[in-house]
Amino acid sequence: MGLTIESISHPSHHLISLSGEIDTKTATSLMEALAELELASLLELRIDMGAVAFVSSAGLRALLFAKQKMPYESRLVVIGANTSITEVITKTGLSDAMMLVADVSLLN
Amino acid sequence: MDRIDSLPTDNICGQRVRPGKPLPFGVSHVPGGLNFSVYTSAGEQCTLVLFRQGAAEPFAELPFPGHYRIGDVFCMVVFGLDFEDLEYGFRIDGPFNPDKGDRFDASKILMDPHARLIAGRDRWGEDPDWQRIYPYRARVSLDDFDWQGERPLEIPMQDLIIYEAHVRAMTQSPSSQTAHPGTYAGLVEKIPYLKDLGINAIELMPIFEFDEFENSRNHPDTGERLYNFWGYSTVGFFAPKAGYAATGKSGMQVDEFKQLVKSFHKAGIEVILDVVFNHTAEGNEHGPTLCFKGLDNKTYYMLTPEGYYFNFSGTGNTLNCNNPIVRSLVLDCLRYWAAEYHIDGFRFDLATILGRDPWGAPLPNPPLLESLAFDPILSSCKLIAEAWDAGGLYQVGTFPAFGRWAEWNGLYRDSVRRYLKGDPGLVGQIAQRVLGSPDLYRMSGRAPATSVNFITCHDGFTLADLVSYNSKHNEANGEGNRDGGDDNHSWNCGAEGWSDDPGIQQLRRRQMLNAFAILLTSRGTPMLLMGDEFGRSQHGNNNAYCIDSPLTWVDWNLLKTNAELQAVVKALIAFRHQHPALRVNRFDGPSSSLLPCSSFHGSTPWQPDWSGESRQLAWMMSCDHRSPNGEPAVDIVYVATNMAHHASWFALPTAPDGYAWHICFNTGDNQHPILVDQPKVDSGLLVGERSVVILQAKPRP
Repeated sequence: MGLTIESISHPSHHLISLSGEIDTKTATSLMEALAELELASLLELRIDMGAVAFVSSAGLRALLFAKQKMPYESRLVVIGANTSITEVITKTGLSDAMMLVADVSLLN
Repeated sequence: MDRIDSLPTDNICGQRVRPGKPLPFGVSHVPGGLNFSVYTSAGEQCTLVLFRQGAAEPFAELPFPGHYRIGDVFCMVVFGLDFEDLEYGFRIDGPFNPDKGDRFDASKILMDPHARLIAGRDRWGEDPDWQRIYPYRARVSLDDFDWQGERPLEIPMQDLIIYEAHVRAMTQSPSSQTAHPGTYAGLVEKIPYLKDLGINAIELMPIFEFDEFENSRNHPDTGERLYNFWGYSTVGFFAPKAGYAATGKSGMQVDEFKQLVKSFHKAGIEVILDVVFNHTAEGNEHGPTLCFKGLDNKTYYMLTPEGYYFNFSGTGNTLNCNNPIVRSLVLDCLRYWAAEYHIDGFRFDLATILGRDPWGAPLPNPPLLESLAFDPILSSCKLIAEAWDAGGLYQVGTFPAFGRWAEWNGLYRDSVRRYLKGDPGLVGQIAQRVLGSPDLYRMSGRAPATSVNFITCHDGFTLADLVSYNSKHNEANGEGNRDGGDDNHSWNCGAEGWSDDPGIQQLRRRQMLNAFAILLTSRGTPMLLMGDEFGRSQHGNNNAYCIDSPLTWVDWNLLKTNAELQAVVKALIAFRHQHPALRVNRFDGPSSSLLPCSSFHGSTPWQPDWSGESRQLAWMMSCDHRSPNGEPAVDIVYVATNMAHHASWFALPTAPDGYAWHICFNTGDNQHPILVDQPKVDSGLLVGERSVVILQAKPRP
């Protein structure tokens, strides 16, 4: 299974919607998509993972890589990740760098 | 700009490769590829074996060309590998002459001794495919954890209160009410409890990758599966145990364990690892060939002239720690854990083996111990030796310390246990132990904190069992109760095992409080065993190394049942933190401005009864310090112990002018062992039978 990436800019944030699996190979395309953004001035990046079945260590690191290029006061929001992905993010402390929400309606 | 060494020069078996670099050993990321490096002195040929994750058969085997060898190191860069989907090993071809120490066997696939991530035992207790040709599978770790500025805590040794714990045992019981029982993540959930208890260091029993199925068997009577539960048998020195990680199946154990360290540090608690360098999981000549045996048997292991394995560890083989190659491996390993995992200290299992020469003789100045003591990366790490081994070398007090090493003080354990149960002739010993054992450490210029004081540890009875059993009851281990020590110095208080006699229950509780009171008012570095603070029992099993069941899991329901016991322990820990006089780290004072740094007393002040039949001793400790608001102050603590079966009167030393004695704890008071109001005491006090009373001198209003 590959990875489909849709990237849309909104006035208040940037939304990347993902569909498929993120492993070492597909993480490269995600990195490329993230590299196209003006991360240094982006205050909110939303990653919709509702249609992602699996994320490897490399995939999670691609997200962290983006967060580290964003301003200190910015936020990285992961939306709709499944339970196994959420658990890995939480148990390994990656949740320190990102906000996990089940649904976009929970965002203020 | 691209590096010119980022392009392949050769093609081997369809893989694009180029000659690699010998350092660092193991696998490392280089532009476009992975650099593999492995040492073997007598191996003639080496082959890199590559697997897809979990695959039974390799997808490629790459022989190292002759010019890919530098000295005794084979090294190769392989380009275009998917590192997340990769497992790798080595085949080494060379002579197979066991009587000369050589055991090369190219039919075996060997694990990288520097592997930082190991697959194969990803979920605790899940039976692997026993037919696998490569059971423990080296993987590639990124080691790019975001520590967010967190650093090791560097708490002075004398201020530590260590809590010895087993990762799985701490939370595997449903009573732990953790979301991820038995894992690193589960242990993180217990940090608020440990912080509230007041300990400031946790010493984790082995977390280097080991195989819980090593020597696994079924109990001959009950059929219960027995495991290598404790983990004192290392498979991989650089890898955290995957089966302890809730994310082990995802190969994220490195991050999960780093998150554990980060979380403990945020709570002000150091993390000390119990490390096992004395032997490996490869056993003796009948054991499996997993790594070192096939890489360079006679370099890594101590061998007899006939090629058999010396067994100073009692487990089959002995690592040849003072061989320069092995020394480098140990040093690399500890540096890695200190630098990459921010580990605060190490406790070395059977550490005297680290001071033996290749033929087993103790070295006067062991190079490995010296290297560790003066290593720049380890300079602020605690180094703690278990200063004995299974070969009969006992070095408590004489361990080559190089001014750095602390020791588990086995003599403290034995002296205090015997004093607690009322043995005669112990008062002089106790005087030495509560001062940090100057009889052991003063002459060699060491300090009280050298002495890690403990009464119980994983090896032996829990504290509740120490006061409930006269003899070991190890039937559950399936060895006919022959295993485990018989020198427990325990006393069951009148009945063997569980008792509903209120008098016995009360006495046991008091004996536990006496133990904690002495431990936490002794100079040196105190260590508690997990769950002892609320009366954890192993039903008299003093060697539960193979039991993975509620017998060994911490029963957190006891925290409610024995809440009063836990409350006293917590108060005693807080008392120790509040009183610098108990933590003075010099044997030669200095005296405070009012009193000697330490002094001993009996029924009459300044006149302890040193006779063989004496079972009473009081100690007074004092030092100058700064109060929390920065004012000069004098700290004065007085501890009266009476281990006789009758009450004894202790006349108190006269409190300095402007000070009065206040009673803080009385273990003989069954209702209120913590005296919250700290009432004033004038000339003396009656210390009940088998009781400890703790006082402090406070300035008069």
